[in-house]
Amino acid sequence: MSTFPAPSAEKFRHEALLYAGWAEFVAGTVPFIRDGVRAGEPVLVVESVDKIEMLRLALSDDADAVLFADMAEVGANPARIIPAWHDFVSRHGGTGRRLRGIGEPIWKGRSPDELIECQRHESLLNVAFGHGQPWWLLCPYDTEKLDEAVIEEARRSHEFVTEHSHVQTSNIFRGLEASGAPFDVPLPEPGTEIGRMAFGPNDLAAVRAMVARHAQAAGIEARAAELVTALNEVATNSIRHGGGNGTLRVWQEDSALVCEVRDRGRFDRPLVDRERPAPSSSAPRGLWLANQLCDLVQIRSLPDGTVVRLHMRRRPQQHLRVVPEIN
Amino acid sequence: MGVADLLWNYWAAGGSSIDDRLEAARGGGIVYADKHLVVTRTEAPIGLYFAGEIDVTNSHAVAESLCNAAMDDADIHLDLSGLSFCDISGIRSLVDAAEARQTGRLMLHGLPDLLQTVMNVIGWSDLPNLQICNCRGAR
Repeated sequence: MSTFPAPSAEKFRHEALLYAGWAEFVAGTVPFIRDGVRAGEPVLVVESVDKIEMLRLALSDDADAVLFADMAEVGANPARIIPAWHDFVSRHGGTGRRLRGIGEPIWKGRSPDELIECQRHESLLNVAFGHGQPWWLLCPYDTEKLDEAVIEEARRSHEFVTEHSHVQTSNIFRGLEASGAPFDVPLPEPGTEIGRMAFGPNDLAAVRAMVARHAQAAGIEARAAELVTALNEVATNSIRHGGGNGTLRVWQEDSALVCEVRDRGRFDRPLVDRERPAPSSSAPRGLWLANQLCDLVQIRSLPDGTVVRLHMRRRPQQHLRVVPEIN
Repeated sequence: MGVADLLWNYWAAGGSSIDDRLEAARGGGIVYADKHLVVTRTEAPIGLYFAGEIDVTNSHAVAESLCNAAMDDADIHLDLSGLSFCDISGIRSLVDAAEARQTGRLMLHGLPDLLQTVMNVIGWSDLPNLQICNCRGAR
């Protein structure tokens, strides 16, 4: 018998699965997937390669009907996950058709900057799908590896929480409206700034040259052009929508080169950087592009303006192993 | 190119000033130039060669150049192999120029790899009047 009653309301259901160890992960995910498959619902699982392998074994023949994607790839930059779900829902969701998904964007190896962007992503899922067609997304959280604060935040970003096979409405869920509120969590101050310039409408070429120079010095020549292209769009936004000028700052961290643009503009469309641009329109594309080219994009709306930080890793990402240990 | 050709092109273009045309001929076929970008005519195939950088400060040059070069309604070949940078506004100008054409396509040659990637990513790589040719530069 299934432990997962279908959602009663015809709407998007965003549910956290808190698991400790292998057995709870399997008990929480396999029946969920199997129920979906047997009801004829399209199912997409975005997990680590190791967990996908394990789920295929556990699901046996039912695995054939399931779509799998590698979270290390899809969610390398967490802002690319919502577009992936969007594609899934629009391609497979037909009229009124139910769908199911599993996505585990947060694992222990995430850097502090990635973690906070993943948490923002979890909240924005409510905004992206809360008013759309009904589908059911289950987000596993490893309670043995993740800090209590991370689990606490999962209870705020998910309307439902399953723990030890019991599902409950989260009494601290922040709700749909607050999920898209301006993101004003301050960003940490950088260590040593290695470059800074104020720019205006005629300085874009100089901005590009400065970023290219620092990318080269940081040893990421191969990705310099991508970073320059992304940063140029952010600086162009400052010129066109952010008061006509801005400030560029550059610094190096152990793992990444970071470029920041500050201006006096307002950023009030929380999903603008994760909405696939429609063809042949004058719709904004700069932040979408930045998310596809850079490893991490951080956007903050502060009382005195907007801050956008672009991160480019200095080394290729290490292979991710996020499978729980077998007890 | 003789003056007769220029005059013919002038009427065919339906407008750009004859002074511009003469200027272009004197400048060795230069139809647009600023500090960061030079656009010149190409004869075989008929089109334009872009060299330098396109951003929001000069992306208007794309439409201007097409107009100044007196292009008719046949396919126009744009050689982009000399571009070291092109932002979204530059791509948007190419898209707008392609969509504004009644007949004939814009054929893009020598697209730098990243530019092609960017066009894919922002959803502008599959338009009826804008053809990306996977070849080296057209000249």
